[in-house]
Amino acid sequence: MASVTASSVKFSSVSSLIKQNQVSNLKKASLSFTGNAFQSRRLPVRRFHVACAAKPETVNKVVDIVRKQLALPDDRAVNGESKFSVLGADSLDTVEIVMGLEEEFGICVEEESAQSISTVQEAADLIEELLEKK
Amino acid sequence: MRSGFLRMKLHCFDRTFIRYSHSLNAVQLPAPMETHLWYVNPSEVKSESLLKQYLDILSPCERENVLRLQGKELRKSALLARALVRTTITKYQMSSPVEPRSLKFRKNVHGKPEVCWPSIDDWDPPPLHFNLSHTSSLIACGVTINSQIGIDVEEKQRSIKHNILSFARRYFSKYEVELLAAISDPQIQQREFIKLWTLKEAYVKALGKGFSGAPFKTFTIRFRGVMEGDSEAFNESSTKGFEIVVDSLDDPTDVSNIWHFSLLELDGSHYAAICTEKQSALDGKINIPGKLMVWKTIPIVEDEYVSGTDAVKIICGFQ
Repeated sequence: MASVTASSVKFSSVSSLIKQNQVSNLKKASLSFTGNAFQSRRLPVRRFHVACAAKPETVNKVVDIVRKQLALPDDRAVNGESKFSVLGADSLDTVEIVMGLEEEFGICVEEESAQSISTVQEAADLIEELLEKK
Repeated sequence: MRSGFLRMKLHCFDRTFIRYSHSLNAVQLPAPMETHLWYVNPSEVKSESLLKQYLDILSPCERENVLRLQGKELRKSALLARALVRTTITKYQMSSPVEPRSLKFRKNVHGKPEVCWPSIDDWDPPPLHFNLSHTSSLIACGVTINSQIGIDVEEKQRSIKHNILSFARRYFSKYEVELLAAISDPQIQQREFIKLWTLKEAYVKALGKGFSGAPFKTFTIRFRGVMEGDSEAFNESSTKGFEIVVDSLDDPTDVSNIWHFSLLELDGSHYAAICTEKQSALDGKINIPGKLMVWKTIPIVEDEYVSGTDAVKIICGFQ
């Protein structure tokens, strides 16, 4: 019993170490980018590629598919910058996500392209690129 | 006074682990055509003190990657995966110049991880190949000498979100789809699907070229009767006298002569697929069936040799 208590004392110190990287980098980026003038609009996440970044609706659909596939809790933040692996997708999940995107958007994703997408934004950008080619 | 007691308990706990690590012996390198498999079950690792020790032996980059992951169980299994590969590889040194924390890794031209041994006078690094696979519930590391290796582990009961046949039609070869479609029992079909998935993953990982290097649709993996040499209708309960082979639709060379497959069940809960190069492909000698040695481990703490026990059930591919 005492050793169980001992490990729970230790638990909090390691857990806090593990928790400290939870702050989303996204928040910091959008604060410095949007400033006051843009407070009324929601802008896409990417700062340097606004011209060819996917539409927010596309990003949101990708987010929905990823959430469903990985059965993420509602309080888990998912946005364009989210990496599939960081969210917990293994290779089978990733393949299912790609298949889900193909079904949702009516596209076909080649293996080379599938291998190169690692974030929600990259998936959304690829989708719009493929839709444009159709 | 109470906190003093707890501190004393923690101190004893740490000392116990240090004593254990000195008693773990170095392991002999695998013989040619022998495969070693080391696996850990995350649910058996509960000590926060031990997890902290694991975190300590990771490289700064690995540590950062682990801590960035979202979800406690995800971080734990990623941490265990790195601790497993570091402690496993360093077991194979005859003298021990390289500690787990000092091991360096690099990626080959296709992105497959390999060990980057230091050059030390009068010391030859162990000539080993390794491959790592992990699920949230089991992490495994396969080791060979002189042969490429790819492994994949998956929960037997892993269900996918899509319909199995829809998924197979999209990603598997025509032959494999037909095989799965012929299975009427959905539970058997689900298990055969998972077996096929792990075998295909293991092959791609052994090749080391990434998912796009060998798209799943371009090769077929199947069970072949050893005597007849013809494919038979698959019977889940009897795979004796069968071998697992691969046919490549793209590659004109007979890849089934190069790659050896084996399939196991670990702890009754997971399938593990292992793909290695055949002896005959490596040195022209006649193919000798390989031996498999399996350890269940808690890195730093204990290794348990489990080959021949209920923990390891060979489905196909080894004696």
